[in-house]
Amino acid sequence: MSHQAKPTIDTPKESKLFGTYAEFDNVDQLLAGCRKVRDAGYIKTDAYTPFPVHGIDKALGIKPTILPWICLACGLTGTSIALAMQIWMNAIDYPYIISGKPFISMPAFIPVTFELTVLLAAFGAFFGMLALNKLPMFSNPVFTDPRFDRATDDRFFLFVSAEDAKYNQASITKMFGCLGSGHVADIHEDTSSNTVPRPFFVIVGLLALFSTVPLLTLARMRVTNSGSPRFHVFYDMDFSPSKDAQQTTTLFADGRTMRPDVPGTVAVGQFNDSIDFYTGIDMNQLSMIDQPRATRLVRALLDEPANDESATEEPATEEPANESTMTPADEQVADEPIAEGSAVDAQDAAAAGVGAAAAAAIDKTPWLTTNPLPITAQSLENGRKNYEIYCAVCHGNDGGGNGLVNRRAQRILATAWVQPSSLHQDTLFAEQYADGKLFNTISNGIRKMPGYSAQIPTKNRWAIVAYVRALQQSQNASIDELPADKRSEVKKRQAEIEQRLREQADAEKKKAEAAANKI
Amino acid sequence: MTDHAVIADQPIKPKTKTADDPSFMLPASFAGMSLPLAVGGAVLLVAGALVGMMAGPSTRFTMLAYLTAFTYCLSISLGCLFFVMIQHLCRAGWSVVVRRVAEIMMIALPALGIMFLPILATVWLGDGTLYRWDDPNFVANTGVSAEAWSQKIRYLNAPWFTIRSLIYIAVWSGLAIFYFRLSRRQDETGEIKLSETMQARSGPAIMLFALCTSFAAFDWLMSLAPTWFSTMFGVYIFAGSVLAAHCAIAVFTYSLQRAGAIRDEVTVEHYHDLGKLINGFTLFWAYISFSQFMLIWYGNIPEETEWIYHRQVGVWGSIGLILIFLHWMLPFLGMMSRHVRRNPTAVAAWATYLLVMHFFDIYWIVMPEAESATGGVMGVLTSLLLTVGMIGLFLGGVLWFAQANNVKVIPVRDPRLPESLAFENI
Repeated sequence: MSHQAKPTIDTPKESKLFGTYAEFDNVDQLLAGCRKVRDAGYIKTDAYTPFPVHGIDKALGIKPTILPWICLACGLTGTSIALAMQIWMNAIDYPYIISGKPFISMPAFIPVTFELTVLLAAFGAFFGMLALNKLPMFSNPVFTDPRFDRATDDRFFLFVSAEDAKYNQASITKMFGCLGSGHVADIHEDTSSNTVPRPFFVIVGLLALFSTVPLLTLARMRVTNSGSPRFHVFYDMDFSPSKDAQQTTTLFADGRTMRPDVPGTVAVGQFNDSIDFYTGIDMNQLSMIDQPRATRLVRALLDEPANDESATEEPATEEPANESTMTPADEQVADEPIAEGSAVDAQDAAAAGVGAAAAAAIDKTPWLTTNPLPITAQSLENGRKNYEIYCAVCHGNDGGGNGLVNRRAQRILATAWVQPSSLHQDTLFAEQYADGKLFNTISNGIRKMPGYSAQIPTKNRWAIVAYVRALQQSQNASIDELPADKRSEVKKRQAEIEQRLREQADAEKKKAEAAANKI
Repeated sequence: MTDHAVIADQPIKPKTKTADDPSFMLPASFAGMSLPLAVGGAVLLVAGALVGMMAGPSTRFTMLAYLTAFTYCLSISLGCLFFVMIQHLCRAGWSVVVRRVAEIMMIALPALGIMFLPILATVWLGDGTLYRWDDPNFVANTGVSAEAWSQKIRYLNAPWFTIRSLIYIAVWSGLAIFYFRLSRRQDETGEIKLSETMQARSGPAIMLFALCTSFAAFDWLMSLAPTWFSTMFGVYIFAGSVLAAHCAIAVFTYSLQRAGAIRDEVTVEHYHDLGKLINGFTLFWAYISFSQFMLIWYGNIPEETEWIYHRQVGVWGSIGLILIFLHWMLPFLGMMSRHVRRNPTAVAAWATYLLVMHFFDIYWIVMPEAESATGGVMGVLTSLLLTVGMIGLFLGGVLWFAQANNVKVIPVRDPRLPESLAFENI
């Protein structure tokens, strides 16, 4: 039994002392040694054993770890992040109704909250454990002693660091000797070179270099074109059997892939039982003046096929209002190819004037004269948005008829282009061009302008009508129409602009005079 | 060994006890309590039944209250059976010192089978006294589709229900008697082979147990609302049972130690483990009940939501909140710390608290099926009398049985007992 032999003591001379260890050959001796060292007041101590030893924390006097608190804090952080994230996403940033539940519906948030709590708590426990143990530690001076290797096999080591305030080499060696240790030794700081060997850098460098290859390949693929078909790493849904619009199918008797709505279908939020709302026409009056047309309109709206020929009849009945508002003059303008950009303005203005006048003469449709939508700041704002999405590209943000598409058309001298109307002409004001008629134009189009009933929901088309009225008024308003408190502001601004214009004119005049004098 | 002189300041190990040490027997104070508990329990049970019949809202209400009380005790017993089997299944060493306590509580299962007879009897009355599917006028009264109902009553009918119930009781009783008998035989012989037999049977046994418990939950509790269904319901009942069983084991062991038995054998380490399991099963119970709730809530289909919705309104909604905050959140946070779990008194206190909460859980599952809410003062009184009476009878019977058969409170010759005695967590 080695521990009964006289302790051998190694004392290498060079380098700084790191600490002293004692070797034991059973757990009981180690635990007794730990208690002794603890009771002697040493704090910077450690024990090394081949397997976990219960009770060693207490024997060494190791204070309870704060790891549970780190874990709890991380877990609670996870809870808060998950809840905050979901509430912000679902209720604030992008409020979206899901199965009719409230925006903030706790039950839906709990799974994510639970997972994130567990994840962060686990991270806290794992990385906290590493940090508290000062891991990863690549080397420890105790490794310099070959005897220490048996710590992973069949020996138990008790170590006292030289950094301990009470450390005294002689007394510790003596104490260890009394504990029945078979071997006591001092450990010195590891003096071997800590320069990293060059091959390590070479290998790491090469690995780093190679690791850029996939990235560079990707980067190259992103910026170059290739004639070969795309490479599908994961097939997944790349080759979906679903059909595209307008394709045929054998699934349905009529061979159409796009399924028509069930007759009478109304999209969510689109229902309004007034037919006037959908047509812009006072249907009561229309039925008195022109019963067949009223019937046709109603039938088209309800999607009720009158008979088996509905498929062929539909296109005809779908835009009856459009048909009727297309006056001969309008059609003429629409069909006429306009060759010269410079001629466009005058011609169109004249044609529009004539057309409108002619239309007013012929058109007996009882258009709604008031907007059925309640006019509020909100609906006007909605109208503005929709106007800027759908109308402004041609008619311009200011309604002057010079949108981006028009400018482009003039630049490339497009031959078949019809100048979009300026909305700021008398003939398009409410007195001559009723709200219902404007609504009908937006819905079904006029001349080259297509109908927008498919893109813009009915309510939004009425909102556009309201906005166009506001736009017209904004360009033709007198100062008395402004709220009293805004007038002075506008007047001030007007004065400023006039002043600047005058200065500009003066400057130019002077310049011209100066130039003239020179000559 | 001369080393022992050096390690003198190590805590002194208790002197080795022999297998017939008096501290392994049921303490006299416990044995003395068995008769008063059983008689008192029976009296309260009868009193509760009388109050329910005379002054309570209805016979159905009284039967539901009886079912609540019965389920409460049954769930603890079943949880203990599960505890014993799972310890054998994973060849656990730590739990040997507390296993006999669980075994004593699980051996009540055959007796609980007898207590089920009044419930079984109502089914044969054929008038929906307890289970409404038993009422031939169910379709007419509720407007359920007759065709769907004709399919449903192929499963929910008196003869088939009786056969199933008897199977459950037989399986549970058989398992309980098997494990109890072998464990006691080992007290005498100390044969290792007995442990091996118990281990070998525990796998199939636990599968049988799972099936029976799950289906018993469907039949006895879920069919109270005959048109409602949740495949998770069995697991929900199981989760509550196992939680309650761990609590009951902790409380029982703690009171045994207070009375002088197994003081040196069950240590802080065992309470620490019981505490961990109680804390874990608190979360498991919440996890399962929330999982059941969330799927129903998300799907939002009337035939599934009726059960939950009914339990969110009025007094049931308040009890639901109690379940969330006091059955789960409070004990979960309260038992989170190691310091609490390494304090036997604290573990026993939390376990007692959770046993009360477990009653709320069962009450919330069963009683909303009564048409008359909590049934006013008399209704609550009926529920309480029946439950307290049933618990008294359960405990009295269990103690009487242990005393009459000289059952030791620890498996004295279990081959893993030394491992359990020396068990350390840290």
